[in-house]
Amino acid sequence: MTITEEFTPLFAPKTVAVVGASTKGNALPNVFIRRIREFGFTGDIYPIHPAATEIDGLTAYKSLADTPKPVDYAYIAVSGAQIPAMLSAAKGHVRFAQVVSSGFGEVEEGKNLQAELADAARAGGMRLLGPNCLGIYTPRGHVTFTEIGPKEVGPVGIVSQSGGLGTDIIRRGLSRGLKFSGLVTVGNCADVTPSDLLEFYIADPQTKVIGLYIETAKDGRRLFDILRKAQASKPVVILKGGRTQQGLAAAASHTGSLAGDDRVWVALARQTGCMLVDTLDNFIDTLLIFQTLTPRPQRATKKVVLFGNGGGTSVLATDYYSRLDIDVTPFDQHVIDALAELKLPPGTSITNPVDCPVGTLQQDDGRVAEKILDIICGQGKPEALVMHLNLSAFVGRTKPEVLDNLVAAAMRVQQKYPGQSHFILVLRSDGEPSLEARKREFRDKAVALGVPVYDEMANAGHAVAALATFERFKAARG
Amino acid sequence: MNKPNDNPVAAARSAGRNALDESAGKQLLSTYGISVPQSRVAKGVADVDAVMNGLKTPVVVKVMSPDILHKSDAGGVKINLRSAAEVKTAIEGMMNAPKIKGARIDGFLVEEMAPAGHELVIGGLRDPQFGPLVMVGLGGIFVEILKDVSFRLCPISRIDAEEMLAELKGAAILKGARGTKPASIEAIIDVLLKVGGDNGLLMQHANDISEADINPLIVSDTAAVAVDARFILG
Repeated sequence: MTITEEFTPLFAPKTVAVVGASTKGNALPNVFIRRIREFGFTGDIYPIHPAATEIDGLTAYKSLADTPKPVDYAYIAVSGAQIPAMLSAAKGHVRFAQVVSSGFGEVEEGKNLQAELADAARAGGMRLLGPNCLGIYTPRGHVTFTEIGPKEVGPVGIVSQSGGLGTDIIRRGLSRGLKFSGLVTVGNCADVTPSDLLEFYIADPQTKVIGLYIETAKDGRRLFDILRKAQASKPVVILKGGRTQQGLAAAASHTGSLAGDDRVWVALARQTGCMLVDTLDNFIDTLLIFQTLTPRPQRATKKVVLFGNGGGTSVLATDYYSRLDIDVTPFDQHVIDALAELKLPPGTSITNPVDCPVGTLQQDDGRVAEKILDIICGQGKPEALVMHLNLSAFVGRTKPEVLDNLVAAAMRVQQKYPGQSHFILVLRSDGEPSLEARKREFRDKAVALGVPVYDEMANAGHAVAALATFERFKAARG
Repeated sequence: MNKPNDNPVAAARSAGRNALDESAGKQLLSTYGISVPQSRVAKGVADVDAVMNGLKTPVVVKVMSPDILHKSDAGGVKINLRSAAEVKTAIEGMMNAPKIKGARIDGFLVEEMAPAGHELVIGGLRDPQFGPLVMVGLGGIFVEILKDVSFRLCPISRIDAEEMLAELKGAAILKGARGTKPASIEAIIDVLLKVGGDNGLLMQHANDISEADINPLIVSDTAAVAVDARFILG
């Protein structure tokens, strides 16, 4: 059985059993039933209950072994002590059981119970997810543990050792334009580990980029072997918790085992081409750039053009990018000459960074941007172009359509030179609600066209640096 | 030089030791094709004339004892000895040194001194979750104070070895900054691969070696020689 076949019942279950739903309809498993129905799950749902015959309008069964069809995915949220017996009695009737309940290996007194749970899952012939997790979000299977989450299947596959952070990744990622091929919370990893799911995502045709939130990797050597064998066929972004001594103490209490040392993770990333990030925002920023742009190892990103309004912003970004090993260096003379011929108003800088005050950008209702971008892409040919607009600066000074025209111009030029320069958009705003609303609208359009959008130059810089790292790794290793 | 034992690790294990002594450590390195200085073991003063025959001076003498962890601190290392007479005097001195007198003594390692060069450290460590790791750094303050080292998981490839060296903050020193001779990068990479590569020492002995230190590895513009080595078993 291939890894894809093995995990298909998890990512696209035909039958779902739910343990812990109450006849009163108010327990977490009842909420789960409601959510997957709303999410469009059309397979069979089997509530498991020792006494009830019907729950939420569905026929209930006494045990996991009693359901009419075998169970692809069982969602289990009852008190921990009764679960091992339940699993071992399943007799090969269940493929995947996700134990949401806590009180296992994450606390000292639950360590034995966790060992018992893992043994029971093995005896019952199933793979076990968790315990101490929240569930799975799999749009292709119409199963979700969160109340929000797009139904559309995307390219980003996630494994999270923390359930809460998994929810954050979906919520924040969604608002940033991420689309997921799946997100699995694995909690204490008594059986299925991030390595197993990484292996699945590497093979999964729906997944283009992989994100892992890891606190501990008990099977670290296997993780390394899988990544090494994959030869960076897909970008893998790792958000590692517990890299410092202080973080380590928190990790030990959270997941219940020792964490690897920071230097191991740095080594792992450098050797396998993974991108190691430190914050949730950085994680999402990096996933977004790989969702939208296609890495080009044969022309690894080094030279970047900055174009937008805001002189200070350009200067600060040039400094910041240089520290990230990204070059923002002046154009060759012929490009400068071509830009000079546009006869842009005084105060416009055309060397790179290309700094255009609002007064310049609003010329011809914003259509001037198209000419500038055309010269930058067509003649400057940088590996990447970061276009930044300070939306606040346009307010009250220009017609509303100027911004639309600018963004539309950027999109057109981007499509005129396919594969020429990675195109990144930074939309800066002061948080004013109407600007935020327009920003969201621009962002949705841009991301749909394959242009990643960032809130600030620094966020974009880190994402570009990660893209460059990945491209260089692939280039050096063929 | 002693006849290389096929497996000094197994020998030390069966003798119930939790570390390789310097001589066994160098035998192990030698088995993997890593250059170590020519050396011989003298049981005592009476052996010195025979042992010196065939060794190039100057030599260094080091006490061999399972009881002495830090040989230099105990007065168990004498360098720059130019004759058999000087070696004998050094050994007699050591046997009377307060920290050596009462210790079990396996003998005295008489070893040719390595030509001058850059001092590096190559190390190994077994991580409980990830298995063997290999480390490289520049010797002295770079390792001890600045912690300017780079790690990789074993096995490393040639590109990994190159990148390990390139990411050291002191990398420029190896190229011969400030008028010093450059170190042979090729020779360092060769040792890194023999220690941490696919069929390297750390992979082959992953179950036995918990820590390893080649310190210093002296690297000239043509060659790298492991002047001291320490392997902790477990």
